[in-house]
Amino acid sequence: MPIVLENLGHTYQVGSPFQATAIQNISLTIADGELLALIGHTGSGKSTLAQHLNALLTPTTGRVLLDGQDINLSDASKKAARFHVGLVFQYPEHQLFEETVIKDIGFGPRNMGLSQDEIDARVQDAMDMVGLPYDEIGHKSPFELSGGQMRRVALAGVLAMRPRILVLDEPTAGLDPHARDFLLQDVKRLHSEGTTVVMVSHSMDDVARLATRVVVLERGELAMSGPPREIFSQVERLTAMGLDVPAVSQLAHGLRAEGLEIPNCYLMEEMVDALERLLKGGAPDVA
Amino acid sequence: MAGPFHLQLDHVTYQYEQGGKTAVKDMSLAIPRGQFVALLGHNGSGKSTVAKLLNGLFTPTVGTVQVSGMDTADPKFVWEIRRRAGMVFQNPDNQIVATQVRDDVAFGLENIGVPSAEMPERIERALSDVNMLEFADRAPHLLSGGQKQRIAIAGILAMEPEALILDEATAMLDPSGRKDVLETVRRLNTEKQITVVWITHFMQEATQADRVIVMHEGSAVMDGTPREVFAQADMIRGYRLDVPPMTKLAETLRSRGIALSGDILSVDDMIGEVRRLAHRA
Repeated sequence: MPIVLENLGHTYQVGSPFQATAIQNISLTIADGELLALIGHTGSGKSTLAQHLNALLTPTTGRVLLDGQDINLSDASKKAARFHVGLVFQYPEHQLFEETVIKDIGFGPRNMGLSQDEIDARVQDAMDMVGLPYDEIGHKSPFELSGGQMRRVALAGVLAMRPRILVLDEPTAGLDPHARDFLLQDVKRLHSEGTTVVMVSHSMDDVARLATRVVVLERGELAMSGPPREIFSQVERLTAMGLDVPAVSQLAHGLRAEGLEIPNCYLMEEMVDALERLLKGGAPDVA
Repeated sequence: MAGPFHLQLDHVTYQYEQGGKTAVKDMSLAIPRGQFVALLGHNGSGKSTVAKLLNGLFTPTVGTVQVSGMDTADPKFVWEIRRRAGMVFQNPDNQIVATQVRDDVAFGLENIGVPSAEMPERIERALSDVNMLEFADRAPHLLSGGQKQRIAIAGILAMEPEALILDEATAMLDPSGRKDVLETVRRLNTEKQITVVWITHFMQEATQADRVIVMHEGSAVMDGTPREVFAQADMIRGYRLDVPPMTKLAETLRSRGIALSGDILSVDDMIGEVRRLAHRA
């Protein structure tokens, strides 16, 4: 039951002097169980695309299909899409507002019209999923927490709606290294437990660690799509687009330019093995 | 009266209100003029408090802070210290006050009473120092995050400061915006000998500094060149930070018996070292 984008396009403020096309001609199928990373320069349309996945934005051209149904057919279909597809915005902690962590996380399930018992169970589950201790912080104000914890409260608020598809816009932006690792572990676990994840990110090292597929947007159009190994091997093309490349890919590219025999790799473990072979084992290729 | 040090903390403790959290504990620190210092630490380690102590936004509960020999707790120095030690914050959108870039840069000058005849020249010089002169008549809210941060820096430069304190100024920027802002500040540091205190969560940015200071629980726990500090990977991790990816790779290779020499911080360092070893093998 994938998400299918059919020739999707979005133009902001049509007919006004500020008319601007953010994305166009995007056809993409997001399969169940993927962890798809959406990368691109600022202004390439990543966030606009992400906001179509749960009908927050309505396409100006093309369609978004969920389980074969156009999600923008009616208000009811839009609302249904929002329960199936959970969107976590950039800096979601700016949107926390309730008096307690428990109430904040329960906001979505309450809107779904669930019973109080069901809401309580879901809030507990969601807090477990992101590693927030229910008894210790559940009754605190979200504003007393650290930045990393606030980010996880916001994530739990979306998870409590039990979405099948989770869309994360820059989930680690502004977090310290420890909080970032913690959050990425959450994402990795949710994915391994069956949630389809779409992650918008500038952090190529995060993308390299997690993604099963990378989609690159350039000036609102789909420029590249493929497994991370294939995408990150194109160091020069990505750099020309103003994008970062994982440090390991940069190293592999640089070493090959030196005439050394290093396979195309992007993960730290692969590079360790490759360098071990080169420097200890077989005959190095000395020019 | 200005001692050898430009920015100086002498046994400083800072407590948020009576009985509140002690954010900085008996910390002493001396930064010479023209040094580029990266200040690292996990959230809550006290680094933002130090930033605010350095330009007199906060005054110490115990101890003294001096900027060019001026005590930040002495009310008569307040404006002079803020002019000399300018601060850039994390969120570019919270730092914009005007509808035109030029007016935004003028804001600080008006505050310190610069005669209006002098303003245009200072504004244009400051904008040209951050490579934003061509945007002088544009609306700041339509610029990218990196451009907005460079406008914020220009607003400080127009006041002819001696130090720049940047509190996670790149945290909300994309990779190219981060690179632009860091390059701009690095250049101002070399060309104008402006002292820089650069607070960041990006370890790779800290490798560009002259000196790295790591804070933990309100104290400076590590202090040295980037190579010295990042060579102690286990200690860094103990303070809930990380080492740059290439330093991590070097560490793993050493643990597998590959004798990499030197302290590796960047991809270029690693390429050089692998080339040396491969051609010797």
